[in-house]
Amino acid sequence: MTHATMDMMHPPVPAEPGVQAYNLKLGMWVFLASEVMFFTGLIGSYVVLRFGVTEWARPGVVLNIPITALNTFLLICSSVSMVKAYAAIADGDQKGLRLWFLLTILGGAAFVGVQVYEYLHLVHIGFVPSGVREGSELAERVAGGAAPAATMGLYGSTFYTMTGFHGFHVTCGVVSMIYLYIRKVLPGKYTQQDYRGVEVVGLYWHFVDLVWIILFTIVYLI
Amino acid sequence: METAHRKHPPYLLIWLYLALLTVAEVVLAFELPISQNVKLILLLALALWKAALVGMFFMHLKFERWNLRVLALVPLPLAAIFILAALSEKIW
Amino acid sequence: MTSHATTAPAGHAHHDDRSFLAKYVFSTDHKIIGIQFLFLSLFFLLVGGVLAMQMRWQLGFPNQPMPGGGILPETWATDGVLLPEYYIQLVTMHGTFMVFFAIMPLLVGVYANFLIPLKIGTHDMAFPRINMASFWVAFLAGAVMLSSMFVPEGPSRAGWTMYAPLSARADLSGVLLGQQLWCVAIILLGLSSILGSLNYITTVINNRAPGMTWFRLPLSVWSLFITAILGLLALPVLSGAGIMLLFDQTLGTHFFDTTAGGQALLWQHLFWFFGHPEVYILILPAMGMVSDIIANGSRKPIFGYHSMVFAIVGIGFLSWIVWGHHMFMSGMNPTLGSTFMVTTMIIAVPSAIKVFNWLGTMWEGNLHFHVPMLNAVGFVAMFVIGGLSGVFMAATPVDMPIHDTYFIVAHIHYVLFGGSLFALFGAITYWYPKMFGRMMNERWGKIHFWLTMLFFNLVFFPMHNLGMGGHMRRIYDPTVYNFLDPMQGVNRFISLSAFALFVVQGIFAVNFVWSLFRGKKADANPWRDNGLEWSLPNPAPHGNWERVPSVYRGPYEFSHPQASEDFLPQHVKLPGDQEPASAKGAAR
Repeated sequence: MTHATMDMMHPPVPAEPGVQAYNLKLGMWVFLASEVMFFTGLIGSYVVLRFGVTEWARPGVVLNIPITALNTFLLICSSVSMVKAYAAIADGDQKGLRLWFLLTILGGAAFVGVQVYEYLHLVHIGFVPSGVREGSELAERVAGGAAPAATMGLYGSTFYTMTGFHGFHVTCGVVSMIYLYIRKVLPGKYTQQDYRGVEVVGLYWHFVDLVWIILFTIVYLI
Repeated sequence: METAHRKHPPYLLIWLYLALLTVAEVVLAFELPISQNVKLILLLALALWKAALVGMFFMHLKFERWNLRVLALVPLPLAAIFILAALSEKIW
Repeated sequence: MTSHATTAPAGHAHHDDRSFLAKYVFSTDHKIIGIQFLFLSLFFLLVGGVLAMQMRWQLGFPNQPMPGGGILPETWATDGVLLPEYYIQLVTMHGTFMVFFAIMPLLVGVYANFLIPLKIGTHDMAFPRINMASFWVAFLAGAVMLSSMFVPEGPSRAGWTMYAPLSARADLSGVLLGQQLWCVAIILLGLSSILGSLNYITTVINNRAPGMTWFRLPLSVWSLFITAILGLLALPVLSGAGIMLLFDQTLGTHFFDTTAGGQALLWQHLFWFFGHPEVYILILPAMGMVSDIIANGSRKPIFGYHSMVFAIVGIGFLSWIVWGHHMFMSGMNPTLGSTFMVTTMIIAVPSAIKVFNWLGTMWEGNLHFHVPMLNAVGFVAMFVIGGLSGVFMAATPVDMPIHDTYFIVAHIHYVLFGGSLFALFGAITYWYPKMFGRMMNERWGKIHFWLTMLFFNLVFFPMHNLGMGGHMRRIYDPTVYNFLDPMQGVNRFISLSAFALFVVQGIFAVNFVWSLFRGKKADANPWRDNGLEWSLPNPAPHGNWERVPSVYRGPYEFSHPQASEDFLPQHVKLPGDQEPASAKGAAR
């Protein structure tokens, strides 16, 4: 990266002494640090529990991989559109900001929608947080040896807790972005001189994307 | 701050990377006939690669001052310590 | 709740025309939020104390009707005799209230809020509204926790550490709703702490007054800053664990259910991974405030300021890698146990550095034993006892016989009561004039200190002996064990001393409330201290300064040769002082 690019990354607002990042941005990074520890608790528990047992349902047996891979792609796209919105307003491009920001919201909302669909489908076939529902389609398949019955309870517990809290974070992101879109983006409150809100909500959004990248791999593929 | 269009990182290229890496992960997980342990390490490496791309470029960590980078990285060793210690019964 | 603050002396920097509700209830002013936390946590301190008294009655006088026990409901006591189910709930809730809702908010909620902006020289927190949310979420958490006392079957019975599987399975503990409410309250408390911590961290990093460099920060701010980092990173782990525990009881998940592949040990790892940083959250701010008070009371610069800072940072880091010493008896990997033993002993080094620096500060100082100073010195003495027994227990072979005995109870109370609470009595007295504009009564403060010191030691020192004799913690009735019979006299002695200790705290309570209305009006700088907060009128106005002062030196310049008095405030400019470079752009 050139030096010019580095300058571009610091919004032209006065930075206070300290880390030379404005309060809101620093505060968001600090908050994200605590979020890392929150997901450490959840993901760490999953890893520990998973290592604690010898067998686990093979990937793809219960969960639908193609649809989730597509959903992962969707979230990555919305992360790209977020950063494009940021780049647009950094160049003073209001139209670009409105377009990319809206696309980000749509991408996020679609992700949540697909996840809700996935949950409904999983519950329908009998995969619930406590494991496998008796008498369900999945129960028959597990009885037929498709997946180890002993650890399905842990599978359900960890799957729903981790993806559920990630989904909760995405939902919070979508809600706050809708709020910002109506209150700030549409009226043109962000300018080339001050677009802090876009950068900060972007940090949160990319973090949520980052967590999903990890979750997709360790929950769906391993 | 007058210049309207400054140089941005190649966001679309990174997007392409991320998409390709995701495809690679799925192919790796389901199509490749290699041992489970190798698969596990490769998948984790790919996931970390993707996460690093998001952190470095989308969250601009590559362009931030060192002290903000430190702040962002502080929780990671703690996470590693916790998981390794809690796993210690199983790994040795 | 805080209407007494209206009795402020004249001297407001600007006219304040906000409504009563905006000023004192839904306030975004960091000082009012600090005072709100003060009242909330003092209330829970009282609740925790009342619960402890009931436990002491049962231990000192097993199976005898408790005076006044007749008013307890049938499910708690029959004819005034406490039931075992209620006893374990007392144990659980005493620990929970004291740790999460009394000491932690007293130290962090009150003093991080009140002191950080005043001491670093800024108008308010970086995010005042998030700060207000932090208090109201904590209030809600406290209300939920308190309400769990009054639901059918009562509160949780699993001990404040909530060890699974007892906590995870209602069929084992016999409590479902109370246990769920415990989880909800702890999740809320975690949220409140995270909101608070991110505010404190951002404010300290970004909003210091011109010239307030890192190594001019008072040690109280340093310790509150490191504490905030610990809280920020530790509390989310507890919240996550609380969520999993809650899901085990509501959604039927199996995280801690050993019959379905879950791990009871996982809870212990999660809890103590949070829990040991939490231990330092409960002592670091006390250490910082004691440093300020001891320098003031000795009229000497603090001895070894830089080593104090590095000790705080070192403790903050080490606190993350010692949690296993709570789990030596859990069946954890012995190799790991040895590792934790070594790290735990290492953490004694920065703690000892701090103790020696306090002693070095007092050495040949011009000692003024005002009430805060007395309590601060009491803190140092009691912390040494509690700290040394901590090093002793850190050795795995020593811990094995005394694990889960009253020796541990003695240790934790020497650091939490003898340590944190003495520091808090000092801190409350010390910053009372800046909060309320009046002084607390000096004579009754001293009487309270000496009586508390006496009865505290009479209560908790013999517990070491009980523990060495094998007296288990959390047992309901010591008389059913023959080997404890010779020690029942000690138990009774402890109980009587505990009642006296409780009564003596009434002096503090009366002094606190009486001084709100009748205390002597305080000067702006009654302790003749150097901190920026003393440059403000009493009580400090909303927004603190019209224009933040510039800082020219560190906070401990007592008995400075160039100063006309024996103190030299941080904002006073001497002829040779340079204007800080950052002051030029500081018209924020």
